[in-house]
Formats: sequence, C-alpha cells, structure tokens
Amino acid sequence: MTASSSVDVAAGEPRTDPKPVVAVNNLRVHFQVKAGVVEAVDGVNFELLEGETLGLVGETGCGKSVTARSFLGLVPSPPALPPQGTIDYRHRNGGGVVDLLTLDSEAMGDIRGNHIAMIFQDPGKALNPALTVRDQLGEVFLIHRSADVLEGAGFGADDTGLGASLIRRAARLKSGIIERLLLALPPLRNRRNRLRASADRLIMEALADTQIPNPANILDRYPHELSGGMKQRVMIAQALACNPDVLIADEPTTALDVTVQARIIELISQLQRRHNTSVLYISHDLSLVRRVCDRIAVMYAGRIVEIGPADQLFARPKHPYTRGLLAAIPSLASRAGELEAIEGTVPELIDPEPGCRFADRCRHSTEMCLSAEPNLVDVDVGHAVSCFAYAPITGSDQTPPTVADPAPAAASPSPAPARATDDRTAS
Amino acid sequence: MTSVVGAADALDGSTLYDSAARVRVRRTMELARSILSNPTTMAGLILVLALLAMALLAPIITEPNTPDPAQMPRDWGAIAVPPGSPDHLLGTTNTGGDVFYGVVWGSRTSLRLSILVVSITVTVGVIVGSVAGFLGGRVDEILMRIVDVFLSIPELIFALAIAAVLGPAFRNIILALAVVFWVKYARIMRGQVITVKRNDYVDAARVIGDTRLRIFAKDVLPNAITPVVVQATMDMGNIVLVGATLSFIGLAEAGLAEWGVLVAEGQAGISSGRWWASTFPGLMVFLWALGFNLVGDGMRDVLDPRTEKSR
Repeated sequence: MTASSSVDVAAGEPRTDPKPVVAVNNLRVHFQVKAGVVEAVDGVNFELLEGETLGLVGETGCGKSVTARSFLGLVPSPPALPPQGTIDYRHRNGGGVVDLLTLDSEAMGDIRGNHIAMIFQDPGKALNPALTVRDQLGEVFLIHRSADVLEGAGFGADDTGLGASLIRRAARLKSGIIERLLLALPPLRNRRNRLRASADRLIMEALADTQIPNPANILDRYPHELSGGMKQRVMIAQALACNPDVLIADEPTTALDVTVQARIIELISQLQRRHNTSVLYISHDLSLVRRVCDRIAVMYAGRIVEIGPADQLFARPKHPYTRGLLAAIPSLASRAGELEAIEGTVPELIDPEPGCRFADRCRHSTEMCLSAEPNLVDVDVGHAVSCFAYAPITGSDQTPPTVADPAPAAASPSPAPARATDDRTAS
Repeated sequence: MTSVVGAADALDGSTLYDSAARVRVRRTMELARSILSNPTTMAGLILVLALLAMALLAPIITEPNTPDPAQMPRDWGAIAVPPGSPDHLLGTTNTGGDVFYGVVWGSRTSLRLSILVVSITVTVGVIVGSVAGFLGGRVDEILMRIVDVFLSIPELIFALAIAAVLGPAFRNIILALAVVFWVKYARIMRGQVITVKRNDYVDAARVIGDTRLRIFAKDVLPNAITPVVVQATMDMGNIVLVGATLSFIGLAEAGLAEWGVLVAEGQAGISSGRWWASTFPGLMVFLWALGFNLVGDGMRDVLDPRTEKSR
C-alpha cells in the first residue's frame, strides 16, 4: 500500500510543478480513553509541496496539531492507538520515499532535525529552563553538523592520534565522563576550546539569521532571561539549524504580542525562501494564514473539509464551515454587531455518529448529511471541498443540501430546516 | 551577519569559553547569595556547618577511644559525675561513659548514618521514580504498586521490624532506614518526571533528534531533581531523628557512641536528678534535625519559587 501510493505521488507530477515533499494519505489517529475512542484525526489527505506554505486552520481540538505531530511521531501513545494511513516523506535530493508512520526510532531520529523540524506554540515552554542558549543550540550543531564544527575549528579529517579521535568524539557529543576530564586537561584543553569556539560561531550565525541584534550577548542567558520574541527566535534558530526540508510551525506566534508576531512571520518566510523549505503552518488565525500561506486546508472535527489556494479559498469559500469561519473574521468594512458566530460547538469526537461531522451546526444540512460522510471532491483547480452540496450521493433519494454560492455575508439567513436531529437522539 | 562572525573571530576560543565559565561562577554566587539572604537559612547553615565540623574534627576535639573510637570510653572511677568537672566536661553516665565524648563522636555516627541512608535512598528512589515516570505504562504500574506496598506500612514500625529481625547493630539500622525511606523519593521523582516530560522542550529535543537517554539526562533530570534535593537535605536531619529513636529502643550495639544510645543510657537517672546524660545528646539530635530542616526550607524557597512564603 505504501509503495503504490508513493509511486503515484512521485511519478504523477509534471516536471515544472513543485513536487510534493510530504503526502498524507488517509491518516487516522485515534485515542483510546475511558469513555471510548476519540477519533481526533479521521481520514486526512493532503500534500505538502516543495517550497510552499500550507496553512492548516480550524478550531481548537479539530486535529491540526495531532496531524502535524504525527509527522514526527510526537503523538503520545498511549493514549493514542497506532496511527493508520501513511505519511510519505520524499527525501529532497533524489532519496527514496519513506512512510513516517512506520519508521523505526533510529530512522525517525535521522528524519527529526535533519529533514523535518518543528517550531512550537509557546516559546516559554519549548526551551529547557536549565540550559543556556549556548547549550541549547550547541547540541543541535554538535549532533547534526559536527563536520562543520570540526572544520570551523580547523581540524582536518586526516588528523590521527588519540587527541584527534577524542576531539572528533566530542564534536559528536559522544564523550563520556572520563573523556571529558581528559579534554579539560592542558594538552587537549586548547583544542577543546577551539572546538567550542567553532560551535559558538555557528550558534551566533544561526542567531544572527533570526535578526537577534547581538547574539554574543545572549549566549549565556537562560530562557527566563529572554523576552518571548527572543525565545521564539532561539526556537526558530534551533529548528532551522540543519536546513530542514519541512518546517512544522505549530501556532508559532500565538503566545506572542502582535508587533512581535509580524516580525516572526516575516522571519520564517525569509528563511523559507532562502532554503526552499516547505512550511506547514498551523493556526486558528485566519487573517494571518491568508497573509502567509500559499494554500490552506481547513480542518473540522478531525477531517479536512476544504483545501485550496489561499486567495481562492478566501474569495470563493465553498464549505459552509469555511464560510462561517470567514464571516467570523472582524474587518474594518463590517460594522459592529455584524460578526457572525457559527452556532454550536465542535462535536465530541468520542465514537462519533456517522454522517458529515458539521451537520449539527450546518444551517443547510439535510438527511443526506446525517446518513453518510462526504468526501473531498475537486470543485476547481486545486480546490477541493467535502460537502454534499457539491457532490451529492448519486442514486440517493435523499435531497442534497443546497449552498447558495454568493459570498458568506449574503448567505441565506433562513433558519435551518427541520432536521433529523430528533431521530438521532431517539435512536 | 558577517560582522557577527568577525566579532567571534576576534575572540579566540579560550576567551569565549572562559567567559562562559565566568558566567557560570557568577550565577552560582548569585544563587548562593539569595539562599543566604534569608536569616533563618543562614542560622541553619551555621548550625549544620558547626555540627559537620564537630564530626570531622572529633579525633582532635577528644582523644579517640582505643581500640574502637565508636565505642564509649568507660571511666569506672567516675560514675555519674555532674557536668563541669575538669575531666568530664558534660559529666558521665552511670556506667562511667563520658557524655562529652558521646556527644562529639555521636555526631560522626549520625553523619555516617545520614549520608549513607540519604545516598542509598536518593539513588534508589530517583532511579525507580525516573524509570516509572519516564517510561510510564506497565513499568510505571508495576513499580508504583511495589512502592504502594512499602507505603502501606508505617515508616517507624517497618524500620523497627526490619532492624529487630536483623538483630541489634547500628549497621542494621542503616539498612532498615534505607529500605523504608527510598519510596518517598521514588514518588516525588515520578511525579516530577511526569510533569517535566510533558513540557514542549522535551518534544523539541525529540524533534532535533536527541536520544531518549540524552533527553532524560539533559531535559528531564535537571528540571525534575530540585524537590528531591530539598527533601534529601531535610532528610539528612530527619533520618538522624528516626535513627536515634531506633537506637534508643535498643536496636544499636550497647555502648556505641551514638546519641540515641546515650539518651537511653541516661534516662534511668533523670528521675533521680542526673539529667545531663540524656539531655545533651537529646539536644544534639534536636539541633541536627533543626539545622538541616532550616537549610532545606531555605533551599526550597530559592529553588522553587512557587512555594515561596511571603516574608
């Protein structure tokens, strides 16, 4: 299954188009809790193309983070059940395709850091409070770029002898306690210090890349001595240290104030352009996503309900949920009081009922929506939506919902038609 | 960016590294200063240092008894001498034991007891708690049920039972206390590890490809160990208290220079006015426990700001 789907992904694209770096196929991540099985991610499909920014938006608890964390095997298990589906990652430089869900821990260790990196939501919690910036970043370079560190310190690969091999081990963070003691003694101390200085230079370059004004000043600071924006920059420097192909940004600016937000976003996209990194941008802030992303995937209750180019999705949203989200964005044009909220809340994902998961909150839903789950169907080039209004079940005698096409503001205010909600609660 | 690299070039390696070392020293000093800024902590520290000095300098303060300095010297010519006599500063017991010798050399015995018990219990507790908390799942379940079994028996009675079964010897008191006290550390450590490993920086370390062992050593352990350090400091005092209790009821060798033994030896004389043989060693136990508890309290205030009392 893995092989066939990945071949399709690799072969089907014309040369000029950006190739997908990651293809998520029918990803299901379920959690076993006492009350039942939470279907947090239930059949998600999308591709992340080379160099693009894909926004993953949706309400809290819709499965955005779980989807992204599955890339790196960061979903805690238990309570998570083994994930189903595939996440095919294609090595950029002609390497093969691997399914991230089936990698052993060693192979996953290589993917993490070298190929896929992640920026976390809260920089205050994502830096180890017991380590200085130097220690925090230094180890990334020593683990992943020890060759650069050695070269920067002027150690050649052909150096021989005990000292050189000790230094080489130190450059890969492999030194044991006795080796560290030996390195601290005068004959080797000088070489060790050169190694450290070389690592420091790399750290400072990485920090300077993130526009930190005077990197040397913060090397010896602990996270609590840095501002939120600074911490986030250190995080970004850490994530980008190894030029990853894929960067997962899990609400990277949510914990920051607005002025800092703008700079961090600009920074991520600059670095992205430089290294041609693909970014998976997770957010619930639609106006921000619109600014940053090439394509947007809207998630609802563990599934993608609509995916398409950012401009098109904003100009001509198709799914009732997307429309609701867009109508809820405050803008200067709309007067106070005109903001529309989507009624109801995200459904419980514990052993959910069949049918479209948005049906309960959708003002257009019909029996068809409650009986079967709609699939993602293309409505335009690269624009897909999962709603029966666009692709009714053929041969069904139930009426499909009708969604008026005009912009969300003009969506029909008619109350939801009498629905089978009562039947469901009765059954 | 080039300017930054240039700046780094200007500093040669050793300068840069030494600056890091200097920063570390400065931080340690700051921490020490904030611990010492609290007068009660300072008092506790002075007390502890005085007691430790007494233990270390015991052979200089008093002539060691031969052949075994841990045994009380007996002066059969001076039985139940009150304190203040030139040969016996704090008097003697009714078997001619020098109370001053017992007080001084008892601190050695207590130091040995507390260091041995604390290092054994902390090591075992931290390992068990870390494994349970870090690995979770079935391992956690099994280890914690074992801990529960130990916790279901009252500490003192459990220690008493073990020491009694093994026979009266100070060595067995150490063993008994070690068997009883490790569970506390296991529980503290497990809770801490579970809290700490939920932090994003643990995931962040996984994302950059750290091994589990490295993550534990670098991200989890340093951020989880503080309460254990505080508890261990306090237990340095508490264990001597419990140890003295056990030797008081006769679980140590008779005639050992140990505070609990000495209190037991002197208790018969209290009703007939010979108060000194029990009072001085009892006071020592009190001071020992007090000193370490004050230091432990002060450390907690500084190391764990959440529990800081309003001063």
